[in-house]
Amino acid sequence: MQSESRIDPKIVEEILKFSKNVINAPKLVSAPDEISLEVTPYDIVQQIDKTKLMHYRPLTEKQHKTPLLISYALINRYHILDIQPEKSWVRNLLLQGFDVYMLDWGTPTSMDKYLDFDDYVNGYLDSSVEHIKNESSTEKISLQGYCTGGTIATTYAALHPESVKNYIATAPVIDGWRDTTVISNLAKHMDVDKMVDTIGNMPPEFMYYCFSVLKPFEQGIEKYVKFFKNIDNKKFVDNFLRVEKWLGDTPPIPGELFKQWIKDIYQKNLLIQNKMYVGGEHINLKKIKMPIFTQIAVGDHLVSPECSMPLHYAVGSEDKTLRMYPTGHVGMIASSLSQKKVLPELGQWLAERS
Amino acid sequence: MQSESTKNTTDYYKHLSLFWTDIIHLMASKPQALSSIGPMRAFASNSKKISTELIEINDSLMEFNQYLTEYYKQLADTWSVAQKKTNLKVPEVPQDVEQIEAFKRIWIDIFDNDYTELFDSEKFGENYGKLVSKELELTKHWNNITNVILQSVNLPSKEEIDEVYKEMHSLKKRVSKLELELKKQEVKKNAK
Repeated sequence: MQSESRIDPKIVEEILKFSKNVINAPKLVSAPDEISLEVTPYDIVQQIDKTKLMHYRPLTEKQHKTPLLISYALINRYHILDIQPEKSWVRNLLLQGFDVYMLDWGTPTSMDKYLDFDDYVNGYLDSSVEHIKNESSTEKISLQGYCTGGTIATTYAALHPESVKNYIATAPVIDGWRDTTVISNLAKHMDVDKMVDTIGNMPPEFMYYCFSVLKPFEQGIEKYVKFFKNIDNKKFVDNFLRVEKWLGDTPPIPGELFKQWIKDIYQKNLLIQNKMYVGGEHINLKKIKMPIFTQIAVGDHLVSPECSMPLHYAVGSEDKTLRMYPTGHVGMIASSLSQKKVLPELGQWLAERS
Repeated sequence: MQSESTKNTTDYYKHLSLFWTDIIHLMASKPQALSSIGPMRAFASNSKKISTELIEINDSLMEFNQYLTEYYKQLADTWSVAQKKTNLKVPEVPQDVEQIEAFKRIWIDIFDNDYTELFDSEKFGENYGKLVSKELELTKHWNNITNVILQSVNLPSKEEIDEVYKEMHSLKKRVSKLELELKKQEVKKNAK
């Protein structure tokens, strides 16, 4: 009896095409190391320790009076907010006439293991706010906090309400017990004292592990298959490599800061209960009385909506807005949706108050 | 996780080893003092610390292996369940490009869901926490051994360097607070 082979010739064709793409890839695209992630020009206006305060050059003749300072997350770097011109959060705000500053936390070394929440909130962030107030001759600024930068900015807004005119919380990490993500599960079972005592700063390798457990098959296999399939699509490849480079570049987190963050936010959940202390000062979210705009991504698998949303209800502000978007954690800040919907809505809200 | 009999055996060998290390160290310390000088003398007197750390490393390593086995077991079990689910959903071998694409989509969805469920679970979080904790203990023992060696050649230990970092951090904090205060006062003065 003869067996009949029924392999679709298209399958062979696909395999051959895919293999050809893999072989040709190095000739067609740059290596991630060769790509510069700097997009919108800026000036460094202040440097303290390893942090840098960046002031983006204006793109419009007229600007709103109140400057905006972005407090970026502690994980990965600020580049995702300016990943490429057509998806740049920063560029969009500049084009809407805002005066934009961003705080780059830098790369901590072993020497920085004792930096804590107090250093970040009452040190680096406060110094940046003071610098901007002096430079722009304003009494107050607008502040935006993204992800873990949102936790820092929230504590700042509660401790220094006199300096913040408007507060924008973008996917902030607030209520650790309500967070349903994998990261929160790992954080809740972590012996953070032993970790910091033994290795000092939270190492990037550990962060890579935490990211790799998020959708491991979609992110670990399918994403790269798509990359090689689309190797001729210049726009797709450029975007892919930029995001990959950004994902692979995460600095260590200072030990003491990491310890307080894990304990107070994920394990004891002190911030939302108004029981957290920073530098000996009590954090009461009711003291946040300035206008607040909270942005949440419904499909966020890094900071779940249930973790961010309680901020909207916990603050003392009367002028408060909550917006939810059908996207993910990164999609909310660097996608066509963010350009078409998230940023125009934010811009309108901020312009009315700036 | 360690069974009673394994623990007793480990404790017995730990005691036995410590006993002989102590005795030999005491017996040998005087002739050693005569024959060794400088850094080598310091190293000789610290040899007991190193052997204690090595014994304890063995304890941690056994527990680490138990948690590591459980970690891989959880991954393998999830794989097996997810594969069964995929087989039930797609019983036929895909024949053309469209079918392969559909199969791949189903496979990825099922595997991502099942693994996310595992990583979200209490049992995974607990075991992973213990696994990392044991890994850190192993690192700590290695640090302690390195510290003994560093001290034997008159170099600062990790703890001593940490003390310097802590002192520097505290000084920097005081200086920056004073600077900020001065700046604020200057601004107020200029405003007047």
